[in-house]
Amino acid sequence: MLETTDVAETNAPTETADSAAQYRAVVESHDNSARSDAEPHPHDRTESMSMENETIKLEVENLNLYYGEKRALNNISLDIPEKKVTAFIGPSGCGKSTLLRCFNRMNDLVDSCRIEGKILLDGDDIYRKSVDVAELRRQIGMVFQKPNPFPKSIYENVAYGLRLQGVKSKRTLDTVVENSLRGAALWDEVKDRLHDNAFGLSGGQQQRLVIARAIAIEPEVILLDEPASALDPISTLKIEELIYELKDKYTIVIVTHNMQQAARVSDYTAFMYMGDLIEFGDTDTLFTNPTEKQTEDYITGRYG
Amino acid sequence: MSDTTSAEQAGASLMPNARERARLRNLRRVKDRLSHWGVATAGLAVVGALGLIFFYLFSEVAPLLKDADVDLAESYPLTATGVQTPAVKHLVLERYEELGATITPEGVSFFAADSGEPTVNFPIQGPSADNLTAFAAGVPADGVLAFGDGKGQVSLAQLNYRLSYPNDQREITPEVLYPLGETPLQIDEQGRSLTHLAAQATSKGYVLAAVTQDNRLLLGRYSSRENLMTGEVITTGSVEQLPALPGGAQAEFVQVDQTVQHLLVADDQSQLHLYDISNSNSAKLTETVNTERGQVTALEFLVGTGSVVVGTDSGSVSQWLLVRDADNIYHIEPVRDFESLPASVTTIAPEYARRGFWVGDAEGSVGVYHGTASQTLMIEQVADSAIEQIAISPINRKMLVLDNSGAVQVMDVWNEHPEVSFSSLWQKVWYEGREGPEYVWQASSGGDGFESKMSLVPLSLGTLKAALFAMLFAIPLGIMGALYTAYFMTPKMRGLVKPTIEIMEALPTVILGFLAGLWLAPFLENHLPAIFSVLILMPLMMVVVGFAWSRLPQSIRTSVPEGWEAAILIVPVLLTGWFCVAMSPHMEVWFFSGSMRQWFTDNGINYDQRNALVVGIAMGFAVIPTIFSIAEDAIFNVPRHLSQGSLALGATRWQTVVGVVLPTASPGIFSAVMMGFGRAVGETMIVLMATGNSPVVNFNIFEGMRTLSANIAVELPETAVASTHFRVLFLAALVLLALTFIVNTCAEIIRQRLRKRYSNL
Repeated sequence: MLETTDVAETNAPTETADSAAQYRAVVESHDNSARSDAEPHPHDRTESMSMENETIKLEVENLNLYYGEKRALNNISLDIPEKKVTAFIGPSGCGKSTLLRCFNRMNDLVDSCRIEGKILLDGDDIYRKSVDVAELRRQIGMVFQKPNPFPKSIYENVAYGLRLQGVKSKRTLDTVVENSLRGAALWDEVKDRLHDNAFGLSGGQQQRLVIARAIAIEPEVILLDEPASALDPISTLKIEELIYELKDKYTIVIVTHNMQQAARVSDYTAFMYMGDLIEFGDTDTLFTNPTEKQTEDYITGRYG
Repeated sequence: MSDTTSAEQAGASLMPNARERARLRNLRRVKDRLSHWGVATAGLAVVGALGLIFFYLFSEVAPLLKDADVDLAESYPLTATGVQTPAVKHLVLERYEELGATITPEGVSFFAADSGEPTVNFPIQGPSADNLTAFAAGVPADGVLAFGDGKGQVSLAQLNYRLSYPNDQREITPEVLYPLGETPLQIDEQGRSLTHLAAQATSKGYVLAAVTQDNRLLLGRYSSRENLMTGEVITTGSVEQLPALPGGAQAEFVQVDQTVQHLLVADDQSQLHLYDISNSNSAKLTETVNTERGQVTALEFLVGTGSVVVGTDSGSVSQWLLVRDADNIYHIEPVRDFESLPASVTTIAPEYARRGFWVGDAEGSVGVYHGTASQTLMIEQVADSAIEQIAISPINRKMLVLDNSGAVQVMDVWNEHPEVSFSSLWQKVWYEGREGPEYVWQASSGGDGFESKMSLVPLSLGTLKAALFAMLFAIPLGIMGALYTAYFMTPKMRGLVKPTIEIMEALPTVILGFLAGLWLAPFLENHLPAIFSVLILMPLMMVVVGFAWSRLPQSIRTSVPEGWEAAILIVPVLLTGWFCVAMSPHMEVWFFSGSMRQWFTDNGINYDQRNALVVGIAMGFAVIPTIFSIAEDAIFNVPRHLSQGSLALGATRWQTVVGVVLPTASPGIFSAVMMGFGRAVGETMIVLMATGNSPVVNFNIFEGMRTLSANIAVELPETAVASTHFRVLFLAALVLLALTFIVNTCAEIIRQRLRKRYSNL
């Protein structure tokens, strides 16, 4: 919890200062969306990315996933590095969201869904029988495409996860709510109306609220399922800013349709097509010099 | 097809040309208009129909709210009726309101009520005109008159009207009968002059009470027998002397009741004395009370002779009841005071078949009152001098008023519903023959002397009681079932379960009521322990089965498709039910010395066979589909992204249900409960057949109730149209409507607020 405070305090001032310049950058990049290569990210990557230097947080081994008889994921294997942003890109229906939902076992809720293979979190298989799914989901938080705050107050939305864990102390809750909202860069906007209904917030604010809700329970991994696809460019920008700041503390996996976004926010990118993992590598390499022809076709806009 | 293709190929527009388009637009506009007006008309028609229902109910109820009203129709001097003496003892008006009669020392003189024209005069057999010292009349419906003279003799006469229809015209022939023979009866053996008299027809004959000049109280019981051969009337009777009034008080008024149990004397010291005369020859004075309202100037029994109206010189009018105490001794108890008249009360005229009465005072005012309703309906000055006599007709539409100036006024009366007042409908009322004020619904009975008890409290409470127990049964089952079906069940099983429960809604309630009344009620009575053991064992069994299931080997567990686990409960549920029923007789033997019902009775709990438990189960059954169906939809329609959001935060399914799903679905669930409640309140057939329909005021689950709806269904077909009872039943309907209206309005307000709070979706 103390760490969350640190993040919030260090990041709060920078957010407003840079936003105007970044907004222009985003607008430009959106305007030039047909261009094949990505703009360099405003936050320059200093060191070059290499898997060998990374600690592996999540490990997917020969994962097959079936919806009934239909196979949706084919023999996927990849490693997700710790405290980095990993993006999944690919055309609609390629299985990237399905793969994302395997990490916190949300696919369990689908009746006909069946899984083969392993997913290891810090070396432990999350599909073992003895795993407490609720605790797993606490460790691996998730943010959905459509902002889904609960029909409660802003405060209660953030406190919800803690209440689930049995935290009752008002003081603890107050502190965590404030820290989480600061962490999600939302505190200044909502501090005067914490007890208003969360539906009074704009879409972008709601999405940041959902992120605040997710980080309130101190997960290790945050899964983002197209978190900005329903938002306007400014809100998108804020979310991307936030992702960049959150990766200091969390391992982030993001699914996105927007290749520019993947290029801007991610350190590693996986390209998926028709349930297959086509290519996985550090983002710069994948976007500038893909090894597979399918990847190149996709990022240059031949299909998808 | 080929044309189109060629047109396409030619590149021509495929749209209809401008004229054709205009025609189609017109057509479209006409359809639009028609549908607009059609929908609007239908909507207004619905509102209009509802309005008409309301209007009809109101129009039937409205006369209840109207006060009494009198209009002067005619006035003529008393002398016009052929009566020369001003000493009119009594005035009567018969049922068709055509003939009036004055009773004077000269005799009974009939006259046309509208014109005062004399018709026929009957001299009194017995006391001569100048020797008439005392007069008494029984309750108006009997027409009994008694005349006492200066020699201790009494003649008992009875007015009678014979009807004939010569030339299809009604003709009323009045007559004066002497049921105890025309020879005067010597009530005072000492032959003293009689100062006051009381007379009443009883079930065995006639009773007479007399006060003599030397202040002795005499009571005579007489019966007569007619010799079939000779037509000679043989009269037998006995006279006893009653204990004297204490303290040398002088009797001023004396009244005797129809059951020959009570004799009431008002003296000259503002006291009332009650004699118990139920045992002949051992009559005793049981109570002497001060009126505390002044000197008694008029004293009359109301119809049924269960209560008496006392008028005093201060103008106060009060009703006194004969109340039996725990030792079976009667007391006279002042129960209600009415609005006083401006001057001393001179005469009281009780109505023939209602607890209403008319009172005149010394300054010409007339008051109209009703006892049970504790109402003063009207006080109006009708004359400039003291009111001497009032005669109200048996149908209460006309009255005659004789004042001290010798003028007879004929008045048209509107006083249809004096029985209904706020207090008689909604407050505790002290009825005749009861030990204290109570809420009672007992609107009709066989006799005229019956006091109708029309408190809506037992019915309203009964309605709420039935609904409450039904909801107690239906809400947990309905909502829990809905929750499980919507949130935990597989779609396939849900597809089976939901329509099945919804079909239950189509079950005619008369069948449910029939089953409840004729099968369930006796079954419950005989298997009472089963009910309680089911309540305890069923949830316990479910927990045990659930636990055992989780301990079973994987292979067996996976053999049941996911989401179908509920189906394996069917067998244990049936087994538990059977077990409870089978064990019931043994449990009765072990714990309740053979019969649980008897055990309840021994422990002071009333048990009716048709009780709220039966109704709760049967009506709960009728209400469950409503609640289940709406609540299930509400829960099922909670967006998946909300529950997934909760699960993704590490919530268990149950935490998600409690924390997110239920609050979000709460407006819908609330509506479901309210719809169920509305249905339970209005439900008729089940409560009619399974409650026993006893209008009790309690919330004992083992006693029945009578609901507003069942009451209307039972009594409306049997009541006289436009009678007070009829209108009160309409009022009951209005109350029912108001009840559901209030409940629905509150529910809607709460629902809107909840929806606003949880609106997002």
